[in-house]
Amino acid sequence: MKTAFHPADLAAIQVRPSRLWTQSLGWILFAVGIALYAQFSIARHKENPEDRVVPSAQQLIQGIKSAALGAPEEDDTVDANAPFIERFSHSMLWKDTLSSGKRFLVALVLLIPAILIGLHMAVFPYFGALCLRFVIFFDKIVALSLLPILFIVFGIEEWSKIALMVIGVAPTLILDTFNIAKSVPREQIVKAFTLKSSNLDVAYRIVLKQVMPQIINSVRLNLKPLALFLFAGEMIAATDGLAYRIALMRRHMGMDIILPYVLWVALLLFVADALLRFTNRRLHPWYQPL
Amino acid sequence: MVSAPLKLNPVTFNPAGLASVAAEVSAPVCVTNASRVEISLRKVGVAYSAGKEGTKTVLANIDLEIPAGEFVVLLGETGCGKSTLLRLMLGQEFPTSGEVIVDGKPVKRIDSRTGYVPQKYSLFPDRTVLENVMYGPENAHAGLLGRLTPSFWRFRCELREEAIHSLTRMGLRPQDMKKYPHQLSGGMQQRVAIAQALLMKPPVLLLDEAFSALDPSTRSSLQELLHSIWSESRPTVVFVTHNTTEALLLGTTLIVLGRHRDDNPEQSNVLVAEKIPTAQLPFAERRHSAEFRMQHEFLERVAFASSSVHRVEPQSPAQEGCHA
Repeated sequence: MKTAFHPADLAAIQVRPSRLWTQSLGWILFAVGIALYAQFSIARHKENPEDRVVPSAQQLIQGIKSAALGAPEEDDTVDANAPFIERFSHSMLWKDTLSSGKRFLVALVLLIPAILIGLHMAVFPYFGALCLRFVIFFDKIVALSLLPILFIVFGIEEWSKIALMVIGVAPTLILDTFNIAKSVPREQIVKAFTLKSSNLDVAYRIVLKQVMPQIINSVRLNLKPLALFLFAGEMIAATDGLAYRIALMRRHMGMDIILPYVLWVALLLFVADALLRFTNRRLHPWYQPL
Repeated sequence: MVSAPLKLNPVTFNPAGLASVAAEVSAPVCVTNASRVEISLRKVGVAYSAGKEGTKTVLANIDLEIPAGEFVVLLGETGCGKSTLLRLMLGQEFPTSGEVIVDGKPVKRIDSRTGYVPQKYSLFPDRTVLENVMYGPENAHAGLLGRLTPSFWRFRCELREEAIHSLTRMGLRPQDMKKYPHQLSGGMQQRVAIAQALLMKPPVLLLDEAFSALDPSTRSSLQELLHSIWSESRPTVVFVTHNTTEALLLGTTLIVLGRHRDDNPEQSNVLVAEKIPTAQLPFAERRHSAEFRMQHEFLERVAFASSSVHRVEPQSPAQEGCHA
C-alpha cells in the first residue's frame, strides 16, 4: 500500500522511504558541505583575492592541474605538449602515489604471515598457548611509540615505515584471524577428521578456506589503520609519498594541493576496499554473512 | 531445578512383561557378524573438574558391548551424558577411567573409523554438495602430491559417479549436486551429510541428534531413508536422540541413559540396555503395534523421569509448607 508522504514520517521508525527519497537524501550532506565551503571561500576571497586558506574553485583546478600534470621538482620539467598519459605519469601526484602505494603493498604482503599465525594459533592448541598471551600483550603497545626505535634500527629509509605499518596492524590482524578461525564450529573439524583429513588439511582446506571471506573483510577494515601508519611514517621522515607532499605543502599553506591530495587518498582507499569486496564476493559465492 | 526425591523403584527395574518380549525375539536380531564386537566400553567414567566444588561426574561405570551391524539408539533426557558417550566413541573426548574400543583398537584420536553426522554444521559450507561428498574418499585415496598423478584423476571420475549415485539414492535431484549447502533445506543437508559419511564406508556411523532440528514430516521421511540404507549395508550405527518414538522406530538395540546421581556414585548411567522387540516387524508396521505403544510408555517413564509429566509428586510436608 502506498501512502502519501507526511512530514512527521521523517522522525518515525516504522516508515519505508521510497527509492527516490533514499537516493536523494544520500547526497544532501555532500551538497551541504560543498555549499558551505563555497560560501566560506567566496567570503574570504572578497576580503583578499589572493587568499590561500580556502582556495576558490579556480585555484583548486589550477592546483589539481599542477599536481596531476606538473613535475614534482622544478628542474624535472615535462613537455607541456606531450599527451596526457605521458604528462600524468611524470607528475607529482603519480610519483607520490607510486611510492606510497609501493610501501602499502609491501606491508600488505608482509601481513599475510600474520594471518597464517592467527590461523595456526586457533587450530593448533600448543602453538596457540605459546603465542596468545604474547600477541595480546604486543597488541597493547602503541605502535607509534616504537617509531623512534624503528628509525634507529632500520634507518629512516623505506623499511622503517614498512615496519611501522606491519607492527602496527599485525597484532590486530593476528587476533582477529584467531577469533574468526576459533569460531568455526567444532563439528566441522570433527567431521573433517572422520573424513581422513590430515592436520594440515584441517588447517588449510577446512578452516582457512571457510574463514577466508571473513579474513578478507578484516583486512578491509584494517586498510585504514594501515594507511594511518603509512602517513605517520611519511610525514615524519620521507622524501616522497602522498603524506610527505601534504606535510610539505602545509609549510607553504598550499591548500590548493592539500585538498585534492586528501580527496585522492580517500578515493584510492575507497577503490582498494571496493576491489577487495568485489573479489571476495566473486571468490566466495557460498559466503552467507550473518 | 530441584529434582524431586525419587522413589527408586523405576530406576532399577526389570518389568517382567517387557523382558519376556525381549527374550523371545532377541535371538534373530543380530544375524550378521553376531560374534564380532564393534564397540566396547569397559568401566568407562567421565568426570570434569568443576572449580571449587571438586569434580562433576557425567558418566560412571559404563559397560557396553555393541555387536557389529547393530542399530543402537541412545536415549535419554538433556544432560544425561548421551552426547558425551557418543564423543567418547568418536575420540573427541576421553574417559577419565576405563577404556573405549572401536573396531578392535582403543580410541585415541578422531579418525576415519567412525562416520559422523551432527545435528548442525554437518556440511562444509564452502563446498558444493558433490565436493562435500567426494572430500573424504579423495583424502583417503591420495595425499597432496598424489593428487597430481593421472591415476588420481581417473579415480576421481569413478568417485564422482559413485557420489552422484549415492546422492541420488539419498533423494537428491541432479540439479542439487552443484548447489552449496546454504541453498538446501535442513533435511536435504542432513541427507547429504549421511551420504558424505557413508561414502567413506566407516565401520561405525555416529549420528548425534541428526534429525532433531527437522520438521516432523522431513524427519519421518529421513528416518525411513536411514532405516532402509542401514538394512542394505548393515553398518554399526549409534544414534543419539531424545525422541522416544524415533528411538523405537529406528533401533534394534536400545540404551537408555539417566543422569548421574552424586548420592550413588558407583551406579552406572545405563538404565536400560536391551534389544527392541519391535525391530522384527516391518518398518511401516512398527509404529502401530501394541508392543510399540507399551514400550513407548514405559520408556517415557524411565528415560524422562524428571520431566514434569512423569514425575511422581512427593507429598512431603516441607513442600506443602512452601505453598502456604
